[in-house]
Amino acid sequence: MAINSGEKLAPIRKGLLEFVILKIVAAEKVYVADMLKLLSDTEFATQEGTLYPLLSKLRREQLVDYEWKESDAGPPRKYYKLTAQGRAQLAALNDYWKELNRTLAQLEK
Amino acid sequence: MQKVVSINLNGNAYQLEEPGYEALRAYLQRAESRLETNPDRAEIMADLEQAIAEKCGRYLGPNKTVVAAGEMATIIAEMGPVESPEAATQPGSPAGGTGAQQPERGKDGPKRLYQIREGAMVSGVCNGIAAFFDVDVTIVRLVFVILGFVTFGVWVLVYLVMAVVIPYADTPEDRAAAFGLRLKAQELLDQANWQRASARARREWRRTWKRQQKAWQQNWTEHWQRHWDRRWQRMTQTQAAMAATGAPMGGFGHILAGMTLPVFAIVNAALFVAWSLVMMSALMTGAIFGWPLPAGLPQWGSLAILCVIYLALTSPLRAARHGAHLAWGPYYHMWAALSSVFWLGFTALFLWLAYQHLPQVHALLDQLPSFWQKRRMSFTV
Repeated sequence: MAINSGEKLAPIRKGLLEFVILKIVAAEKVYVADMLKLLSDTEFATQEGTLYPLLSKLRREQLVDYEWKESDAGPPRKYYKLTAQGRAQLAALNDYWKELNRTLAQLEK
Repeated sequence: MQKVVSINLNGNAYQLEEPGYEALRAYLQRAESRLETNPDRAEIMADLEQAIAEKCGRYLGPNKTVVAAGEMATIIAEMGPVESPEAATQPGSPAGGTGAQQPERGKDGPKRLYQIREGAMVSGVCNGIAAFFDVDVTIVRLVFVILGFVTFGVWVLVYLVMAVVIPYADTPEDRAAAFGLRLKAQELLDQANWQRASARARREWRRTWKRQQKAWQQNWTEHWQRHWDRRWQRMTQTQAAMAATGAPMGGFGHILAGMTLPVFAIVNAALFVAWSLVMMSALMTGAIFGWPLPAGLPQWGSLAILCVIYLALTSPLRAARHGAHLAWGPYYHMWAALSSVFWLGFTALFLWLAYQHLPQVHALLDQLPSFWQKRRMSFTV
């Protein structure tokens, strides 16, 4: 954890957060609290204060959408899912990530 | 025992301890300002409120109906600072992570010059300056008195100008800013965040912070709290009611405020006119309408005493008028402007009445041009 909290790596994680969220939303319809829990033990641990604005931005870009679902405890919740556009974007990001990895591997040689 | 504030979070009512309420209000205000340019601001705010409401629910049960201040601090720390994603992509800003914003930590809040009513001797100017420069108020007062003597009374006028120009610290935010400290709620919140950060090197700093906070808290409680408790209570109740209903203050409050406004304006204007005439008389004739000034004192000394008497007489009035302002809540500026207009009108009216019906005043004001001429001559010669 020590190296993860290094200042140099913070911007990388921050930049990747959108990618990570798209990945999570792609897997299943999720609620924000579930996303946070899923991420809590990873390098990408984040908080509502960051996630809600980010999700609203993704929705504005029409990459994700949400639907209201009744919950047993309390008011209805927003469950997020990917749009077709979001899926395309995720695929592009996946490809780009692989390419980056290839480049990095080549540079090491 | 803690006072409890009822709030409405995205359609659900919750009861919070007052410091928790302040912390939450500070958090939401900050969030809202961060999202100022965000087109989805309203929606994000609703999302955040709902998330907070759900977290509150975690602390409540059949036998516990109030969210404690500490619990609210934990909730706010969990929520983390609100960042607009557009701004967040800028390099250098910290990633989600623990959500602790290190650069801001430990920095004092913005420091501004205010007048501080509590413990003031005259108007609160010295008190505010003492807070601003972080020195003992007695020293400031001594300096002021000495300056008063050295400048042959001109400093009294400077004081008067400051008393008029420098605003009063009337909200918790103002009072914190007067000391260059951040709002208590903000500290509570920061402290919670701080405790989450585990770096050992910062432990020492934390201890200092706590000590400082404790000292300040103590000071606060002793000096101001008693005085402000009642007014603050009234304010929070109004705010809580507003938050719950979403509607501004009811008609009754406005009627009451509207009724007090001319009364304050009339009394204030009458006192001001009387004082101005007395000052003029003392300055021009060396006596207050025939009543001689104390012989042992120089003229400026008598004038200074008159100023002090006037300020002492009007200070409860100003405080009361201000109390009415507070009750006006969101329409404060409108009412304040209106009451100034009233004051100006009544001042003119009283001056005119005095000029018409009091022969002494008539004579005094008629002398004014020639007096002024003489003065100017003596200056130019």
